Amino acid sequence: MLMCRDLAMIASDYIDGELGTAGKLSVKMHLMMCGNCRSFIGNLRASTELLKAHTSGTVDEEFVRHVDERVAAALDAKERGDDQT
Amino acid sequence: MAGTDNPDEKTLISRMKSGEQQSYHEAVRAYTPGMLAVARFYLDRSSAEDIVQDCWVTVIDAIQTFEGRSGLKTWLHRIVANRCKNRLRSAKREVPLDFSDSMDPDLDNRFNASGRWEIPPKLRFDESADTLMENCALSDCLDKHLSALPETQRSALMLYEAHQHKSDDVCNILDVSASNLRVLIHRARQKIFLMVETFQETGEC
Repeated sequence: MLMCRDLAMIASDYIDGELGTAGKLSVKMHLMMCGNCRSFIGNLRASTELLKAHTSGTVDEEFVRHVDERVAAALDAKERGDDQT
Repeated sequence: MAGTDNPDEKTLISRMKSGEQQSYHEAVRAYTPGMLAVARFYLDRSSAEDIVQDCWVTVIDAIQTFEGRSGLKTWLHRIVANRCKNRLRSAKREVPLDFSDSMDPDLDNRFNASGRWEIPPKLRFDESADTLMENCALSDCLDKHLSALPETQRSALMLYEAHQHKSDDVCNILDVSASNLRVLIHRARQKIFLMVETFQETGEC
């Protein structure tokens, strides 16, 4: 019988659909009976969505600009080199 | 492994092969954050930034040999990972990994001896993730907690969630087993869950 702590250990696998049929079934059975674990799964899923929304917009603009300039300079140098040969 | 079947990506690659500046500008913008996340799995921030810059310069020539057997993103991430591994090998260092337990101790403490909730989850999400992100204080708090995560957990999380790699790809790029990757992701998510719960309850980070 799956306990709440066991479920918390495999909660990410459940959310990502990485559990086998038997594992998935025992989680679903537990969730039918346990409101706390339903909250936990819901919250962990929401935290994951929040993280996705947060990180997809996170870019270190200054570093990207720096890389962009360096690549542009390398391309220029290559073009000049090609012209000379 | 999925190859390049995205028409926009195919066009971008052929423009890069012809040496067009604008194509590199677009590629740098699109792929640098993910490449940095890969490098940060292995190295400190300043070494990681060096590696990513060097990789871009080598890509200018290497792109000619790119055959599109994998996607461009996966190819770039592999180049970065290989360079990092070489750098670590020459410095005889290894990435410290902690895969001992899939439970965060702070979460584990909330169960009683029989494995039931002693302190149940208190968090209630009534708004969408996008609405929540408009809360600047929460966004700053997430930043703070993300940067406090062990580098290995953060990179795995970034590649999996933000850069939307499949598990197999992340395992290949970071050189970790599938079960270790699951532990890394689960540990990181628990930390974020605990952080958001505290924030919603107390309004403090």
